[in-house]
Amino acid sequence: MYSLSEQQIAFILDDIRRNGVELEDLQLNLLDHICCIIEQELEENGDFGQFYSATVKKFYKSNLREIEEETKSLLIYKNYYTMKKIMLGSGIVSVSLLTMGLILKFLHLPGAAVGVVLGIGLLSLVFMPLMFTLKIREKSATRDKVLIVLGAVSAITLSLGVLFKIMFWPGANVLSLFSLALLLLVFLPFYFFTGIRNADTKINTIVSSILILTGGGLFLTLVRSPAGSRIMSVQVTREYLRNETLLDQEKLYIESAVQPRVNQIPVLAMGNKIYLRCEELKAAILEWETGFNTIGEDFEERDILLGDGRIDKFFRNNEEMARRIAELKSSLTQYNESNRGVSKKGVLPVQSILLDAYQIRTSEALNALVQIQLYLLHNERVLAMAG
Amino acid sequence: MIYSSELIKGTLKTIILKLLRDQGRMYGYEITQKVKDLTAGKIQLTEGALYPSLHALEAEGILTTETEYIGKRMRKYYSLSKAGSTLSQEKVSEFADFIQTMKFLLDIKTDLA
Repeated sequence: MYSLSEQQIAFILDDIRRNGVELEDLQLNLLDHICCIIEQELEENGDFGQFYSATVKKFYKSNLREIEEETKSLLIYKNYYTMKKIMLGSGIVSVSLLTMGLILKFLHLPGAAVGVVLGIGLLSLVFMPLMFTLKIREKSATRDKVLIVLGAVSAITLSLGVLFKIMFWPGANVLSLFSLALLLLVFLPFYFFTGIRNADTKINTIVSSILILTGGGLFLTLVRSPAGSRIMSVQVTREYLRNETLLDQEKLYIESAVQPRVNQIPVLAMGNKIYLRCEELKAAILEWETGFNTIGEDFEERDILLGDGRIDKFFRNNEEMARRIAELKSSLTQYNESNRGVSKKGVLPVQSILLDAYQIRTSEALNALVQIQLYLLHNERVLAMAG
Repeated sequence: MIYSSELIKGTLKTIILKLLRDQGRMYGYEITQKVKDLTAGKIQLTEGALYPSLHALEAEGILTTETEYIGKRMRKYYSLSKAGSTLSQEKVSEFADFIQTMKFLLDIKTDLA
């Protein structure tokens, strides 16, 4: 039985490393194995160097690294099954979440957004990446791999784009347009011209290309064109201006007719204060949406348009606005309370969509404020004239 | 006669699992020696096949390991995990069944004498 010196053990370990075995676990296993063989089979005064190289040669066909490569490929093979399991699991969970979210949405029950967001999120960030990764592994040609990567990126950005769109998150349009451009302008031509050359895949390629074009087309029909957006913005802005004009005229008339009596009726002074608050709020909202705090008839030439902005975006993280809305709400409650005792015909309680729902467009919020003011004027007229 | 590596490849996992079930814990060299002894040298596991399998089985949670110092070097002992014990039984009975099928398929007459 041969006895190995420390230097010899160090030499063997070094040799294993030099020959390309990088996994530390494997290095130590091989070291112990080789030491065992030498200790068991080499005679006490045998030639270490010669015996060692003869032993190690039996471990491989062309080089020692083979063992490492085989180990790694077996480990990946195992990951392959884990990935497949996670892919299927995440697919089932995300589809269930999405379905649940949609059912809740249509029943208008709470939890809908959570289901939809988690469902689409899981689908785009776990299921699809895993699915495409596994698909890539099945292909050997670089062209096929590139095709899968292109398809993967467009599919993931498309579904995230839809998610961002329905959640009103920033960047939704950029994501959707990027994904569609990638799908229709890069992926599709590449896919079509590679597939059509091969007789086996020709029919399949044509059918799939038509489906992709139709799908992208259907998606685009849901998107408003830039020209359409402008027309709509102009209409919305004009509509708001009409309301403002009506309000101004009404205000002028009431001021001349009943103003002298306002100070004699306390509830009318209260109404006037609320009216001014509404003016301030409108100015703030207009400024946030357009950069200007008033809009005139020349809005179209000056390009001051009410767009798709949502009021909740403005109020979120804006304590000043939240406080002003809360104030408006409480003073309106007080105002309505005071009017309840008045037994005059035609006095209307003032209510508004703005006070209950923040998820409305700025144009809707502006019109809601005008409506509050019109109600105030109406009540003022009824109270002052009859009183 | 030493069996070809193709034959060994498909049964390596079964051999490892069965040996560990009988012996408790073993290290790599010990496994190769034990197989050699039990088969009178007819089956010789190669290092190039044995270690990748051991590492993969460990990663799958079928084998558990402990390391011990033998002088200056480390020795890794392998034993079956709970999942490994079940798999060991399954693999052996699967292989027994396979042998029956192969006997029939290849029309091998067993020498009963």
